[in-house]
Amino acid sequence: MGRKLLLEHANIEGIASYDVYRKNGGYRSVEKALKTMTPDEVVEEVKKSGLRGRGGAGFPTGMKWSFLAKPEGVPRYLLCNADESEPGTFKDRYLMEKIPHLLIEGMITSSFALGANQSYIYIRGEYMYVLRILEKAIAEAYANGWLGKNILGSGYNLDLAVSPGAGAYICGEETALIESLEGKRGNPRIKPPFPAVKGLWGCPTVVNNVETIAAVVPIVNDGGDEYAKIGIGKSTGTKLISASGNIRKPGVYEIELGISVDEFLNSEEWCGGMKNGKRLKACVPGGSSVPILPHFLVTKTAAGEDRLMSYESLADGGFATGSMLGSGGFIVYDEDQCIVRNTWNFTRFYHHESCGQCSPCREGTGWMEKVLHRLEYGHGKMEDIDLLWDIQRKIEGNTICPLGDAAAWPVAAAIRHFREEFEWHVNEPQACMQRNYGLVAEKVFAPASV
Amino acid sequence: MAFELTNHTSKPVTAREKDSSGDSLSPTDTQKDTRFAYIDNQPYEIREGETQLQFIRRNLGQDIVPTLCDAPNLEPFGSCRVCSVDVALQENGAVRTQASCHTPVAPNSYLYPNSDRIQKLRKNIIELVLTDHPLDCLTCEVNNNCELQTVAAKVGVRDVRYPAGKNHLDRKKDLSHPYMTSDMSKCINCSRCVRACDEVQGQFVLSMAGRGFDAHIVKGANQNFFESDCVSCGACAQACPTSAISDVFESKSIANTEKTRTICTYCGVGCNLEVATVNGKVKSIQAPYDAAVNEGHTCLKGRFAFGFYNHPDRLRTPLIRRNGELQPATWDEAYDYIANELTRIKKEHGPDFIAGISSARCTNEENYLMQKFIRAVIGTNNIDSCARVCHSPTALGMQRTFGTGAATNSIIDLKYTDLIMVIGANPTEGHPVTGAKLKQFAMKKPAIVIDPRRTEMARYAKYHLQLRPGTNVALLNMMLYYIIQEGLEDKKFIENRTEGYEEFRQKILALNIDEAEKVTGVNRELVRKAAIAYASAPNAMSFHGLGVTEHTLGTFTVMQIADLAMITGNIGRRGVGVNPLRGQNNVQGAADMGCQPHQGAGYLDVTDPENHKKYEAFYSAKLPDYVGYKIPQMYQAALNDKLKALWLMGEDVVQTDPNTHHVKAALAKLDLIVVQEIFMTETAKLAHVVLPAASFLEKSGTFTNGERRIQRVQQVTEPLEGTKPDGQIMIDIMNRMGYAQKPYHPDWLLAEISQIVPFFAGVKWNELGDNGKQWPVAQDGSDTEILHTDSFKRGKGKFIAAEWRETPEILKNGQEFPYIITTNRELEHYNNGTMTRRTGNVKILTEDVLLLHPDDAARHDIKSGDMVCVISARGKVDIKARVTDEVKPGVMSSTFHFPEIAMNNITSSECDTDALCPEYKVVACTIRKSKGKYKEEQK
Ligand SMILES: Cc1cc2nc3c(=O)[nH]c(=O)nc-3n(C[C@H](O)[C@H](O)[C@H](O)COP(=O)(O)O)c2cc1C
Ligand code: SF4
Ligand code: SF4
Ligand code: SF4
Ligand code: SF4
Ligand code: FES
Repeated sequence: MGRKLLLEHANIEGIASYDVYRKNGGYRSVEKALKTMTPDEVVEEVKKSGLRGRGGAGFPTGMKWSFLAKPEGVPRYLLCNADESEPGTFKDRYLMEKIPHLLIEGMITSSFALGANQSYIYIRGEYMYVLRILEKAIAEAYANGWLGKNILGSGYNLDLAVSPGAGAYICGEETALIESLEGKRGNPRIKPPFPAVKGLWGCPTVVNNVETIAAVVPIVNDGGDEYAKIGIGKSTGTKLISASGNIRKPGVYEIELGISVDEFLNSEEWCGGMKNGKRLKACVPGGSSVPILPHFLVTKTAAGEDRLMSYESLADGGFATGSMLGSGGFIVYDEDQCIVRNTWNFTRFYHHESCGQCSPCREGTGWMEKVLHRLEYGHGKMEDIDLLWDIQRKIEGNTICPLGDAAAWPVAAAIRHFREEFEWHVNEPQACMQRNYGLVAEKVFAPASV
Repeated sequence: MAFELTNHTSKPVTAREKDSSGDSLSPTDTQKDTRFAYIDNQPYEIREGETQLQFIRRNLGQDIVPTLCDAPNLEPFGSCRVCSVDVALQENGAVRTQASCHTPVAPNSYLYPNSDRIQKLRKNIIELVLTDHPLDCLTCEVNNNCELQTVAAKVGVRDVRYPAGKNHLDRKKDLSHPYMTSDMSKCINCSRCVRACDEVQGQFVLSMAGRGFDAHIVKGANQNFFESDCVSCGACAQACPTSAISDVFESKSIANTEKTRTICTYCGVGCNLEVATVNGKVKSIQAPYDAAVNEGHTCLKGRFAFGFYNHPDRLRTPLIRRNGELQPATWDEAYDYIANELTRIKKEHGPDFIAGISSARCTNEENYLMQKFIRAVIGTNNIDSCARVCHSPTALGMQRTFGTGAATNSIIDLKYTDLIMVIGANPTEGHPVTGAKLKQFAMKKPAIVIDPRRTEMARYAKYHLQLRPGTNVALLNMMLYYIIQEGLEDKKFIENRTEGYEEFRQKILALNIDEAEKVTGVNRELVRKAAIAYASAPNAMSFHGLGVTEHTLGTFTVMQIADLAMITGNIGRRGVGVNPLRGQNNVQGAADMGCQPHQGAGYLDVTDPENHKKYEAFYSAKLPDYVGYKIPQMYQAALNDKLKALWLMGEDVVQTDPNTHHVKAALAKLDLIVVQEIFMTETAKLAHVVLPAASFLEKSGTFTNGERRIQRVQQVTEPLEGTKPDGQIMIDIMNRMGYAQKPYHPDWLLAEISQIVPFFAGVKWNELGDNGKQWPVAQDGSDTEILHTDSFKRGKGKFIAAEWRETPEILKNGQEFPYIITTNRELEHYNNGTMTRRTGNVKILTEDVLLLHPDDAARHDIKSGDMVCVISARGKVDIKARVTDEVKPGVMSSTFHFPEIAMNNITSSECDTDALCPEYKVVACTIRKSKGKYKEEQK
């Protein structure tokens, strides 16, 4: 049994209510921070913990916090990113629904560390019932003196509010989130300036994922060093994984970073192995944006080592043979799944969710979708595969926000590892409408660069 | 999820340095901190805050990197990605692609603007864009002047690899508006139009709706141009790189066009225009981006309202009144008639029975000639100009306090100020381009607006002091009082640079605040806060308009504004000062050139013996050494048989001067009225001789804008057949009357002017360039952005206290006529509207309206759209009502653009006590609901 830091109490009856949460040690981190620590000391603990952003990019949180500009007389903001709209990712919802006070507590402690007096939780509009849960928890926190003026007599003031999105994936991108929170159309901003310098209302701002902020609670309670003992290398602590697909036990799991993919996929404690005794065909280990791995690269790296559930090991081999931990959306495909169809499905999502500012993303996602649709329905040509490759190359790295990359990578990886399946769709247009291709051979397609 | 390769430490670049060349580092600075970056491995020096694109273009020229979503007058946006370049940290190192238009250039970075990779990338992007673009270039309005086309050609797209798919080619054109058009099938989603509307005009009409492929431009609440809040400035059309948004004149088409740069004739902002002509006919107008005044912007008057110039109504032949009727005549007949009559009157009555009114709409050279004619040829100082009816109190008030009657600072100072105060001005309607800048300012930083109406500026301002018309003096005294009471005076400035402060201070402190609060109707606490804000801003700029000057105490109000600037030390450096918003395009110039009865060209007092001698020698003529008539005195003289002839250059005094009955009665007494005009105005109808003049598009010369900038008006087309430039008419008549002059040309005229007007010393026609020069211009040609930097023109600044008095209009008529009506103007029309009513503007704003408060409306059972009869002690007019809380109860407001309404039938003959500027802004009146009968009876 691995250690649990976030979901430890998640299944206690009534934990969503303040009293039960408090009885189980809740709000200790606020007491500790406000009564015994300076804000900088809290930042220091977070730095020591090695915590990395759980929203997908994995940027070290302590470092991000220390970049926050602190000009005299200008307010600072902490925004919690609860927009969670990445296909295959549903961990934040689980956490907020089960144990909402953990997030509120994390927000208070983190806001204190950053010197923010007004913080917001920006939540995906579809999570309206979760928003209600959070609002209730916030009201309880106010009622019990954890929010508002002069918290715990420390002189520190904090107001916290929840703000819902209106159904756009792009509003999870931090600068689009800020625009949306300001009441504008959720278009990502050009950077620089970065939010750390000019964010909400032009003031220094930190945006963190729900899970990141929740993790600050155990870090402050037990110390950053203690947290850093869990995990492996630069992947410290625990991570929530949203497991889905053709596995026996889909769900949200808290794992210690560094356990092996094999263990996570096959042990009874976690996913419980493949459903219906089917063979593994592929796995997307970190949410729909990260490269898909063919069956032979899921539990082993290209070098033949065990693949671990960590930032480094999942990325081993780069984009040629690796992938990313991302937001921890672990999607498993069995031999009956069609990769072309899956890629088309993801691409359709990105096309639909592109904000439309950048020409490569606006037009490129549309054309990738159209070409993939053609291939999937047996109308494709061989050149289409190269065209797809070409489009994704022109999107990647050439857009205002990383949604462009997120749309490009799954297509790139699918072609890289499953090109024979794509070609089969072109060569056997009838067959591809009736059955699936099955597993691909163990080889890596190396397209000419550019 | 995506990796965000963000560098959280890099410094933000906020506003783009628009004219980084202007503020370049001094040599010592550069040596201290020389930083380089490399383009194709060649080192170049970096300038602070520069983007990669600016850096590349500055060093290697415009054409190296193509762009689509970037525009010279907009903030970088980064959406098209065509400007991408490869960037490495080491020579030939691993590269990343970055959009150069918004990425700051990092020291020691290596830029590869045209690597193979980049060229392929650009080509692919354009190819993608073209998949949703109709390829009907040959018949497109902007063919050969389309940025998409240019970039596509440059990156070498030869075919599109995508079969026809879903597209937006079936979008409908929007032809709802008299000027603006759109064809969204040509849209490439660059958002330049949206940004132009937001960042340049501040109107927020356009926005992007929908997401991704469905992203599309909407106007207002998904309306067409006509229904939307669009103010037709045309900024979006000019910004649009394709023909997706354009105008009915197809201003981006290049069909056989020639381009001429000139200056707008409509207001004192003095926008530069680039006029395109085809075969000598004006086709369309755009705004040059490098124009110092307007930086690529105009309002609808400058850009679109040129249609009057060849309107069928233009006068095309001289007219002489024979048998009570104006009949066509030749120029010779007309000149003979005039010369004979003037000679006769001069002989029979003396030169002082002749007067001239010059025009702030004509060039400096023409104004100079007009006063020279009246003074040197006729021999009288009876010369005035329409500046009398607008900014004469400004000139006088500022001369008394500072020594110079002109704006102390420049519009560019808005970039350096921390607070603006706008008094009695509605710049978003009256001075639209400066107005747009002021509005942008008020949206971001504190503004104080002092105005009886809740103008657009007032809606954005932090402090709106909504006073009763006619109480400016009382209100400004309150501000001065609170500044002194709070101890916020700039003691050092007062000590070193001013005089008369102690006495002034005593007078202000004696103010009865209770009374002031009562008469102004403005809460004292609000005034106090505004006063504190003005006094404690590091740099504060004030702007004022006709709401200050067109009052009985106009000159005093101007002096108070000067007092406020001096008491807070807001004078003589960047971002401060007193800045009158000049009404007509050349009000400044008309005064500078001496079109006033007490001062000659260059503001020299005509009664001073030294000056008198100087002028006589200069003009080689005998001149009077006493002051002549101001305009209101001319009417009075005519009524008293002291004036027999009046020469009007481009002035419609009957419609625009107050109290029409009085003016008409005066004119009826005259033996000779000569009117130079382009249309048959109400005044021209009463003339004995009408001379058809050329419009601003048909002549050359200079206009001086509200920031003292002397700019070149350049002839765009030949004068309409039968017409002549006003200046040539003056010269013809001078020659005819025996005072020899060369043919009209600004070249020799400026040379002459520069010898008599001290602050024009270094002005030469050939050296004025595109952006003109701000006077004083020294002998060596250097000009001046800021006045009074080290000392005032008059030595020390003089504090002069003013005491508020009720205007005689209210004292006399207030009982019987309990409402106050104040006049104002609307964006779409210019003055009496003779020009703008002959353009598409009339389709946008079709009539004068009366604004009145819901309470007053209810009392008289009036609804919006009802006809209302407005009655004053002079007369009555019928006008359509618009019920609005823009005005306070008891106060009404109306425009005077349409002759049908003839608002000046009701205005009074009250004038500013010192400068004799008429009081348009306070008229006591009463109202009743009418059925519009009165109007019909009149016809
Ligand atoms: C298109 C797009 C969608 C995103 N959606 C989310 C999201 O739903 N939740 C989230 O935490 N981060 C999301 N991110 C990442 C955020 O931009 C940001 O990196 C993150 O909130 C930072 O928090 P962290 O440092 O705690 O991970 C998204 C990024 C992109 C480009
Ligand atoms: S990459 Fe796509 S989603 Fe991101 S800003 Fe550009 S168009 Fe919008
Ligand atoms: S014409 Fe001016 S106001 Fe109208 S939409 Fe365009 S930019 Fe906006
Ligand atoms: S209308 Fe023109 S400026 Fe506006 S987004 Fe479309 S192409 Fe760009
Ligand atoms: S702002 Fe004034 S000068 Fe400029 S275009 Fe409009 S009317 Fe002409
Ligand atoms: S010009 Fe730079 S992205 Fe469009």
